[in-house]
Amino acid sequence: MGFSHLDDESLIQQIQQGSHGAFAAMVNRHSNRFYRIAYRLVFNKGDAEDMVQEAFLRLWARPQLWNPGKQAKFTTWFYKVVINLCLDLNKKKKPLDLPEDIEFADRKPGQDALLGIHQEQTLVDGFIKELPERQQLALSLCFYEGLSNKEAAEILGVKVKALQSLIMRAKTTLKEKVKRHLGGGSI
Amino acid sequence: MTMDPEQFKENLLVYGSNVHEWPEDIRQAGLKALEISSELRALLAEEERFERVLETRWYEEPSRDLAERIVSASQPKKKKVWPRLVGFFSELVWEFSLPKPALTAVSVSLVFVLILGFVIGFSNPIGSVSTEGTQTDLQEFLYYEGEVL
Repeated sequence: MGFSHLDDESLIQQIQQGSHGAFAAMVNRHSNRFYRIAYRLVFNKGDAEDMVQEAFLRLWARPQLWNPGKQAKFTTWFYKVVINLCLDLNKKKKPLDLPEDIEFADRKPGQDALLGIHQEQTLVDGFIKELPERQQLALSLCFYEGLSNKEAAEILGVKVKALQSLIMRAKTTLKEKVKRHLGGGSI
Repeated sequence: MTMDPEQFKENLLVYGSNVHEWPEDIRQAGLKALEISSELRALLAEEERFERVLETRWYEEPSRDLAERIVSASQPKKKKVWPRLVGFFSELVWEFSLPKPALTAVSVSLVFVLILGFVIGFSNPIGSVSTEGTQTDLQEFLYYEGEVL
């Protein structure tokens, strides 16, 4: 029997009954989505993949942790699981300093443009890393993942107004930094 | 319903530069405010540029086999041969399980057969070898000077 037609909540019920096929369907459906948020939080492909794997293996080992009475949506609950694993990992890791500037040993034509893009990416990443954890999370969930304010607020366990305040503060800080470092022309 | 520049600015930060995707209850007011104010249009253009900068953020796609890897890691590992053998024998014993008196009788008989085997093995004179004879034969073999067939 195929599982692709089942919604997440039905799939998790099947998983709770020990269906490995349902678990595989769930992983296939959502691993990339949860990888994206993990990557935004741990800034590293290998770590992000490990965190997603760990979260799914925990789900397989203890599927009863998802309680349909308490949690409305599976993805909302699972975002929390992945985010908590990523935050724990970040606490264990030593903070990495970003290089002030990047130098290419042998510049070729066109490399200046590449350098510009790379520098911009590095700077934006650096600015986001400097934001308080909750502001980073709010920005990642709403801006990068495109979740509604309501869902993001539920994941973070705050009220919608508080989430909006986090987004506003995050964007305002970032805007100022981008203006200062990349010049007014960028924005 | 009207929207003042401050409110517009806040909504721009919260909901982003695509005013058409703002929540329904404020969308029309936002579009109307935009229509009549060049200041707000400038703000919107600035927000769009800022969002483009945010979108340049570094991102690496996941490995193609990520889902496959997770699924295979969740499968139970194959058990070693030894525990499987033990399991096989215990199942066998279970299959032919006997009542306690019968099991005792079988065990006693097996022990008796074993003891009998030892007794016969150690007391059989046919099995003993004469050392003297062996030595003589060996000497004859080593020092044979006759014709080799």
